[in-house]
Amino acid sequence: MDDFEKQIQRQPLRHIPGEWRAEILSATDGAKISRHPSLVTRHWLSTLNHQLSTIFWPHPKAWAGLAAAWIFIFAVNFSMRDKSPVVAEKVSPPSQEMIAELKKEHRMYAEMIGANQTREAEPAKFFPRPRTERVEILTA
Amino acid sequence: MPADIERLYDEHTQALYAFLLNFMRDEADTRDLLQEIFVKLAREPKLLSGVRDERAFLVRLAHNAAIDLMRRRGTREKIKENFAAEAVSPFAATADPDEKFFRDELANALAELPPDQRAVVHLKLWEGLTFEKIAAALEIPPNTAASRYRYSLDKLRGRLRPLYEEIK
Repeated sequence: MDDFEKQIQRQPLRHIPGEWRAEILSATDGAKISRHPSLVTRHWLSTLNHQLSTIFWPHPKAWAGLAAAWIFIFAVNFSMRDKSPVVAEKVSPPSQEMIAELKKEHRMYAEMIGANQTREAEPAKFFPRPRTERVEILTA
Repeated sequence: MPADIERLYDEHTQALYAFLLNFMRDEADTRDLLQEIFVKLAREPKLLSGVRDERAFLVRLAHNAAIDLMRRRGTREKIKENFAAEAVSPFAATADPDEKFFRDELANALAELPPDQRAVVHLKLWEGLTFEKIAAALEIPPNTAASRYRYSLDKLRGRLRPLYEEIK
């Protein structure tokens, strides 16, 4: 250690205020009493808070931005989901006349389809004839 | 109140107070941290079981508590910026104007050091700890403790040399 270090080292440090002893030691008495379960829970929560703040401390703005982005995404998601039932509710039920008309059309289409189906279903009838008769038809 | 807490207070609090005051440069913070340490010791008496060097262990607790407080408050730089305006000198008051001037200049020069370097200087000069013990207390490698001390001393020397030469 050189002279400069010794010169610094010789400087006396400030003394602790005497009244702090009673204050700090009485606070330790409070700590012993605080074994009550609710206070233990609070201590646990403060420990959790401390741990979280240690994680979030290095980049608080980045975490806040990420949280804001998620909140925005959820908000947009919920607002989109809300619209579809509202639209469905606003549509008025069809009138009796319209239902009757639709049933009529439905029946007509069913008949048309049914007729086609029966025509398609019946295969062309083929009656075998002697070969000579077929030649006659071609030459006639 | 366990008698052990009182004994710990009487044996170590002056050293912890000086260390924390030099580290934080704020008397209210120093008091809060001291209280936090002793409340923790009262709540968890097992912390001290098996500890061989109480002083080094308590310095480590004090250092960790101070770092946590700084983190809770914000960045270390923010606190460092406030030093110039609000710093409390860690040195005792004196009636001698020359001594007072030197102590004030030394306090300002120490305040300009980063907290980690200031902690090493404090523990080396005013606690008389070896670099190994400083390293254990601050949870850094011994070489880092030694190099921080060298850098800090160079800065202090550069800043205080003219004054020191005059006093000498």
